[in-house]
Parts: sequence; structure tokens; C-alpha cells
Amino acid sequence: MLRTEIDGIKIDLDEKMSILEAAKKAKINIPTLCYEDGLSIYGGCRLCVVEVEGEELLKPACATEIKAGMKIKTHSKKVRELRKNLFELIIATHNIDCQLNCLTCSRASNCELKEIAEDIGVSKMRLEPIKRGDSVDNSSYAVIREPEKCISCNRCIRKCEEIQSIGIFTTANRGPETVVTTFKNRGLGNVECTNCGQCILSCPTGALHELYQKDIVLDILNDESKHVVVQTAPAVRIAISEPFSNQAGDIATGQLITALKRLGFDAVFDTNFTADLTIMEEGTELIERIKSGHRLPLFTSCSPGWIKFIEHFYPEYLDNLSSAKSPQQMFGALAKSYYAREKGIDPENIVVVSVMPCTAKKFEAKREEMAGDVDYVLTTRELASMIKSAGIDFLNLEKSEYDELLGVSSGAADIFGTTGGVMEAALRTAAEIITGTELKKIEFEKLRGLEGIKKAEIEIDGLKLKAAVANGLGNARKIMEMIKAGEEFDFIEFMACPGGCMGGGGQPISCDDNILEKRQKALYKIDKNKKLRKSHENPYIKKLYDSYLENPGSEIAHKLLHTKYKARKI
Amino acid sequence: MNEVKSLFYRESLLEKLHEIQNSYGYIPEIEIENLAEKYMLPRANVYGVISFYSMFYTEPTGKYIIRICDSISCHLNQSDSVLNAVKSFLNLESHQTTEDKKFTLEIVECLGHCGEGPVMMVNNKIYKKVNKNTALEILNNCL
Amino acid sequence: MIQEKLYLKGDKLLDIYGYEFKAIKNALKLGRENTIKKVKESELKGRGGAGFPTGIKWEMAADIKAEQKFIVCNGDEGEPGTFKDRYLLEERPLKVLEGIMIAAYAVGADKAYIYIRGEYSKAIDVFLKTIEAARKEKILDDYFEGSDFKLELKLIRGAGAYVCGDETSLINSIEGKRGRSRIKPPYPIEKGLYNQPTVVNNVESLCCTAEILNPDSEEFSQLGIKGSRGTKLLCLSGDLNKPGLYEVEFASVTLKEIIYDLGGGLKEGENLRFVIPGGISTAIIKSENLDFPYSYQDFEKRGNSLGSGAVIAVSKKHDLLDLMLNVSRFYMDETCGTCFPCREGNRQINKILKSFKNDGKKIDAELVSDIGNTIRLAARCGLGQSSLNFIISVIENYQTDLEIGGKLYA
Repeated sequence: MLRTEIDGIKIDLDEKMSILEAAKKAKINIPTLCYEDGLSIYGGCRLCVVEVEGEELLKPACATEIKAGMKIKTHSKKVRELRKNLFELIIATHNIDCQLNCLTCSRASNCELKEIAEDIGVSKMRLEPIKRGDSVDNSSYAVIREPEKCISCNRCIRKCEEIQSIGIFTTANRGPETVVTTFKNRGLGNVECTNCGQCILSCPTGALHELYQKDIVLDILNDESKHVVVQTAPAVRIAISEPFSNQAGDIATGQLITALKRLGFDAVFDTNFTADLTIMEEGTELIERIKSGHRLPLFTSCSPGWIKFIEHFYPEYLDNLSSAKSPQQMFGALAKSYYAREKGIDPENIVVVSVMPCTAKKFEAKREEMAGDVDYVLTTRELASMIKSAGIDFLNLEKSEYDELLGVSSGAADIFGTTGGVMEAALRTAAEIITGTELKKIEFEKLRGLEGIKKAEIEIDGLKLKAAVANGLGNARKIMEMIKAGEEFDFIEFMACPGGCMGGGGQPISCDDNILEKRQKALYKIDKNKKLRKSHENPYIKKLYDSYLENPGSEIAHKLLHTKYKARKI
Repeated sequence: MNEVKSLFYRESLLEKLHEIQNSYGYIPEIEIENLAEKYMLPRANVYGVISFYSMFYTEPTGKYIIRICDSISCHLNQSDSVLNAVKSFLNLESHQTTEDKKFTLEIVECLGHCGEGPVMMVNNKIYKKVNKNTALEILNNCL
Repeated sequence: MIQEKLYLKGDKLLDIYGYEFKAIKNALKLGRENTIKKVKESELKGRGGAGFPTGIKWEMAADIKAEQKFIVCNGDEGEPGTFKDRYLLEERPLKVLEGIMIAAYAVGADKAYIYIRGEYSKAIDVFLKTIEAARKEKILDDYFEGSDFKLELKLIRGAGAYVCGDETSLINSIEGKRGRSRIKPPYPIEKGLYNQPTVVNNVESLCCTAEILNPDSEEFSQLGIKGSRGTKLLCLSGDLNKPGLYEVEFASVTLKEIIYDLGGGLKEGENLRFVIPGGISTAIIKSENLDFPYSYQDFEKRGNSLGSGAVIAVSKKHDLLDLMLNVSRFYMDETCGTCFPCREGNRQINKILKSFKNDGKKIDAELVSDIGNTIRLAARCGLGQSSLNFIISVIENYQTDLEIGGKLYA
């Protein structure tokens, strides 16, 4: 046991830990900036420095292991003065010319720098701002970078390298020219970026954000000649209230629909519907591949970050991808064909907007293979900002229902929003189609939870199915290496973001603890409370096949709902 | 432990970069990509390493890299007059290369001949106790 | 006239066939423990600038159990005004090699690196030839003289980055990374190169160990006074008549004698304003305060350090602000860019000095102190912590001359 004293509070510790972690146990908050849970320790910002009795130089709390007998002062005069001075140095590099940049910043409402300034009681600014003269990187369809706001905390670099195993960012140069950038300063659109947007979630400033389409969408909504339909991804409903309530895990499907109607969308539909449809198409594909033994394992194809990852890093496995488009793209294709026909609207006048927890979906919508299916993609964050700016009192809204035809879904579709969900949804359907009998237990517990890689052997009517689920691209890479090393699987679900879509790069930036657990719980709750829990039982899916698509894998289904991907250079 | 030993024997990335720099006069993109593959690093990472060190370039340099020290000891001995003379002779600022790719000028920190400053280096050759006249003479000999 | 003491500068010999390797042979005879004991007893302190006792470093590394240990000879000399390691590498490479071998033997390392800064092309050439000859003569890569000691040595060229002189940055650089410092602890002796116990020693320090172990120069360890033993290589530069490299016995000369006797005094018609006693990471000493013995403790008493041994004389003809800007630019450009206090602090200091020079904007000493304090107390490595020593000391001594307002406290 380790006995120490922090700010006069005596604490006993059972294990080795940093001063920062120990202080947390003593209910003391030490300001941090370059530190992020789950990433390696960087020790660059030095805001967390503390005084250790007997030592003149201050020690970074994040990087210093606490030792028995240490007496630590986390907020002494020396430390507080130093933090204030340090903060002046940091903020001077953050593009503060007071052209209202704080108000127009993507992080106006949840600026980490502002929070730190409050925590350390910054009261003066004596330094002149540093101008680096870097221009905005808008080379990407998904992620925009404003280098002038970057303070080089390296969180994006570490997130991309350590969690996602990509490494598109680097620190370049040294001295005052030290910057965070991409390979030869190419810009995010010109390197092997998967557009997952995880870097945005890690950025403490507004240096990284999505390519905004909210203003264009607001304009389109004012255009009387257009019929604007919107689809919402499963993971949006369980996160959209966070920017309003500052707590995670609330289900706000009904309020979400009402808000979208108030914003002026002509029809509010659910990506869940096409998630059910994906199960029909992908499930059929799975059964066919298992029967023929060809192109196994089958890889899911709903996560556009994962798609770009495999295109760049494992192009030799592109044939293993399901040819089914993602639910977002299926929806777009159907809205402009089936829905247009049913409603008698000229497809030319239909505008499809989607609300996604995802930044990579913005890129997906622009892919030439499926161009035109979806016109605009908003992130959950963008929609929250639109709701705020429309003066809608979101938390107190009455609830509404999705419009019919493309709005009814099973619980299997809801769980698409979490890691393991697509796999579970597919198994619910595949098992019943293969066996022709009803599943007794439709929850596949082995596939649930938040572990990075889950493996399970599922037995369906004597058929053993080797399944795996990976979330986060670092884990996706691990599975790909297992396959390369000869490990055999039949069906693998890949999600680019940790936690799956609910942890997507377009989701509200963390305002609560354990957001992934809370969001996941909410998704399973929605599923559990639904009567309809299997995709193939969705009556509107049946209707769609009966009246339009004939059957899964039909020629017309292939034309509208399937696609191909291509190898990309690194 | 074998991993450590194999790392030790692995050709150092820094040495490899020197080789490439010396043979091309800079480190071309394709070589960065090859190194990234060889060392199993993201290419951005290798670029980050290259950009850290001032002797590596990612753009072509001149046939002669002129390095003039302006650290304190040389500075006390009027390195600035040498520097200004060379700048105006070549019509270059530091880190720039002439259009004919003959000269690259670098104002550098200490070259370790502080007792014999001002010091100037042309590629690998050191010239000591230079003044603005001898400096220009050295450049003229390169022409 | 002051006499130089020629040890490190002694026996210029480039021919490996004639070099007797007496020191390493003696070490092998003494055994590891006694070799370390001898180095400890010699009170040798690291000559790179930090002054950590070499013997203790070796002892700690020797005590750690590990399958692989490394010795790294730090030849990334870059402190402006310093050229002693270049001299040793070019002129006394066999002594450097022997020092590396002694260190490796003492701590139980069978692999070593020598890292020489890329700008030292002659030193690199000389040392590459030395390694080649040593391999051929089975001094490297084979059991030395039938003992159980075998060493492999590789040379790595630096590529132009002052900060790699910091031992942890240097380790990163050898590993092919950006040369940024590592967070300490763990120290390199626990987790260094490729996370293995690693001893990083300066070129001059290693040459000193070759003297300490050499039976022919037994008296070396007795030179100087307690706490400052042996000799020190001094690199004299600046406004002196006789700049150059000198070897002196510790505490046998004063800084004043070094300037006026060894260095031949100031150039004609010039008057000394101050001395930078150990490279630009040390504080200046005014001309009237030079009369004290050259030893570790005498510098320490004055809150100063003898640094790398670069003694730079600065006459009254120079503009103080110009010099401050020169030093400030150095640190601004050479920080690795990792830790915020050092990167931003040095940038801001440069900006403050520049706007004073260009726009006459008055310098606020309190602001400079605040920045200085922030860097000194919170920067990540020694380079950062000492980066404002020169500038702060100039302000401290010449605040009125420079018309700097406010109160300096750092």
C-alpha cells in the first residue's frame, strides 16, 4: 500500500498510478489539456504540473507516478501563478484576434480552453497573438481543419495512430514552426484519411470539425419547389438530446421527429427502415456465400470509415465486403425511386438529407459509385445546432412518429447504432430463414458489450457460424491481420468508430462520463421495448419487396441497393 | 528480447535518410513511402521525422548547400556581414535555393569551430575565419 | 603564464596499431566492480553540461538486470561556443573508442552507439575509419584480448537538431524518431534505447574515464580539488586574442586568468563587458566578477554552472539587445516543439525582444520573469529549463542600460 498526501488530504493507494489519477481519487481536479483518457501520455501542455515537496521543479501530474510518502500540492500559489502564465502562452497561439472568433467557432458552446481558463482563474492576457498564417484545410468532404486554432496538443495524432491505427496526422518541423499536419501538408482529402472524425472528438479546440452543410440545408428547406425528406440514423436518437441536457443515454426519438418537422422537412423518415432492408439483402448474401463457400468471410459494409480503410489498407479483401450499400445510401436510392413513385413526385425535385452520427457519411454520399442517392448529410452535432438556432425548446417538445412507408422499423435496426448490432440483427433474420423456425432467444449476449473485438461461434440448425465483431479501426486492423495469418471466420461486423455508430465522429462531444455505456444501454432499451424486433418481419419491408423490389438480391434490388468499391493508394 | 536485438541491427532510419538525402539532394516522396513501408510507419510519421531535422529536405536543393553559422561566437566576429554579403550575392534568404539549383543558403547554428569564426560550410567542407570577401570568393569558385 | 595540463589533449595518435589500449586492459584486469569504483572515486562529473557523476550512473546501470544494455556516446555537440568534442573525435578518436569500451565493459553492455552530429563531417569520417580499423583488429566485434568482453559499435549521424544533445532526445533520434525529449522518469539507465537500460555519456566524459583507468596517468584523478577532479577542456571564443581549445586542471586557474592569460585578453582596443562561462545556457558573469577558481562548486556558489566549457568573452562594443536576440532566436528555433512552455515561451520572448528593437516597445521585466519562470519550472527537459538563463541574466545585470521597466524576479 502506498500512503501519500495530496493538498493535505491523506490517501492510501493499492496500486501504482499517476499523480493525476490519485488526485482524482481524492476528488481534486487538476486541469489538463494534452491528456486524454485512453491515449498515451504526451506530457506537453504542462498545465497539470504540481508541486512535490522537496523538489524545486514542478512535475506533470499526468506523467509522474505517485510514490509512497510524496507530499503534493496541486493548487499552491506557485502552481496557480504558473498555470496562469502558461495559459497566456497557450491561448496566444489560438488565433485570438477577437473578430468574434469565439462566437463563430465550432466549439462556441463547449470550448475546452474556456473551461480550463475558468478552472485556473485566468484574469489577464498580456501577450500578443501569434499568427501563423495557415489556411483552412477544406480538401476533405468530411473533416475540415483550421490549423490557426490548433495548439499542437497532439490528441488527434494519438487518436488516429493509437486507436484507429491510421496515423494521417504528424507533428512536423520543430521550434516555432512546429505544427500538426498531414503527409507533406497535403490536406485531409488527399491522404489516407478514413473520414471517421474521431480526431474531432479528441480536439480540445475548434481546429477540427465536420464539413458543415447545415446552412445549405436550411436554404433548401426554404425552397418551395423542393420536396425535402430526411432520414435519421439509429444512433442519432440516443445522442441528440446531449447538447441540450448535458447528460448521455436519453432516448429522444419522438422529440427528434417533432424538431425535424418544425424545421420544415416535408417527410421525416428513418434510416432504420433501410437498416432492416440491409439485413434482408446482406443476410441473403451471407446465406448464399455460406452455401457456396465463396468469398468468406463476409464483411459488413455499412460503416463508410471502414470501407475507406479497407480500400486503402486491405484492397485485396474488397471482394469479401458485402455488396449491399449502407442503409443511408439504400434510403436515398429508394426515396428517389420507390417513394417518388408511390407519392407521385418527380425524383428531380426530391432532396434527401440524412442525419448521421458520422462524418464519413458525408464522404460516402459524395462517392461516385452512388452519387445522387443522398444530397446532404448532417451530423448529430449539426442538427443540434440547427434546432438551437431555430429556437426550438427541444427537451420539452411533444413526441411525434416517423412518417410511414420509409419510417417503420424493427428493434434489430435500432441496434445498428452499437457495435455488435448489425451482427445480431443479421443473425436474428438469417437464423430464422435458414431454419424456418422461430428463434427462442433473439438476444446474442456474446456479441454485446464494448470490447474492441468480440468473437463467437453461433450454431444455427447444426450449421456453425464463426462470427466476429470489431469496433474502432485499430481493432479492425487486428482482425484483418488474424485473417491474413490464417484464422477463419464466416461473418465479421466492422465499425470504424469505437463503440460503433453511437461513438461516431459526428456525435455530440462528450459532456458526461461513460457516454458509450449509456448510449448503448439506451439503444438496447429501444430494441427491447419494440414489438417488432426482426427485420424480416417488418411489414413495410415486405410491402416494399411485394410491390417494388420483388425479392432480396433481385435485379432491381441489385441496381438500387448494391455497389462495388475500389482499391485506393496509401 | 530478440525483438530488441533485431531492432539494434536494423538499419537506422536516420542513416537511411542521410543516404537518400546525399544521393538525390533531397528526400523524394516515393522514398518516403518506401521507408514508411519498410519501417512499418505511417508515411505522415516519416515525414514528421524528416521535417524535424534541418539537414533533410523534402524539396530539391542546390548543388551547393551553403551553411553560414550565426551563433553567438561567430556573431561576435561579424558573421552578419558575411551573411549579408552572401545573401545579396545569391539573392537568397535562408532556406532558399537559386532557380538554377546551384545554391541553397542556410543560416545555421553553431558548426563547432567557434574559435575560428566566422565559419561557413559548403556541402561538407568547412571554411574558417571567412570575411565577406573570402566568402564571395568561395562562392565564385563554385560557379 | 598558465600551463595547460595535457591529458585529454595528450598522446595524439591516430594509428590503431600503435595505440596500446592500456586503460581498457587495466579495467579488464580490475574487473567491473573495481572499474566502476575507480570512476566513482575519481569524482568524474558528466562533461556535457549537466554534471551528473559518471561513476554513479554506471553503477546504477550495472546494478540493473537486463539481457540487453546499451552504451551511447553523445557526440551531438551543439551548444554554441563549444567544440571540444569535435576536437576529441577528430584528433583523439582512439581515446574516445577506449572510453566507450570501458563504459560498456563496466555496465555490462555488448552494444554501443556513437551519435555524432551531422555537421561534423570530418569527425564522422575519422571515427568511421576508427571503427573500421578496430573491427579489423578485433578490438570491436570480437572478444577483446582473449577476455570475455566483446563490443559492437555503430555510428549514427545526427541530422541537424541541437536538442538531440539531450540524452532522451538523442535516444529517440537513434530510434529514428523526432528528436524530442522523453518524460523522465524513467531515466535512460532504466528504460533507454528500445526501452533497455542505456548509459549516455558525453565524449569528453568518456575520454576522462580512459585517463582515469590508464595506469600511465594515475594522477589524473587527483588533480583539482574535492568535487572538481581532473581536467576540463575549455573552448575559448568571442572577442579574445587567442581563442581556441585549452585543457586546464580544475580549480588551478581563475576565470579571469582563463580570459586574460590563456585567452590572451581582449582584442586590441576592446574592453570586456561580460563572460558567458559555459555556453549560452549559462548566465553571464560581469567582467568585474571573474576572479574565482574554475571549479564546479565555485560556479554553483554563484548560482551558475560551468556548462559545456564554452567560455565566450563579450566586449563592450556589442549591442546587448542584438546579442539577446541572437540567443533568443537560437532557443526559439531549436526547441523540439513538444512542451508548451518552452515552445511558446521562447517564441514570445523573441517577439518581445523584436518589438523592442523594431518598434521601441518597452520590455516589461515582470512579464519576462513570468515567462522565464514558467519555462524554468515546467519545461520538459534541461534545454528548455535553461533556455532563458542568458537573457534573464543580461536583463538582471543591465536593466537600466537597456531601459527595461518593471521588476525582474526570476
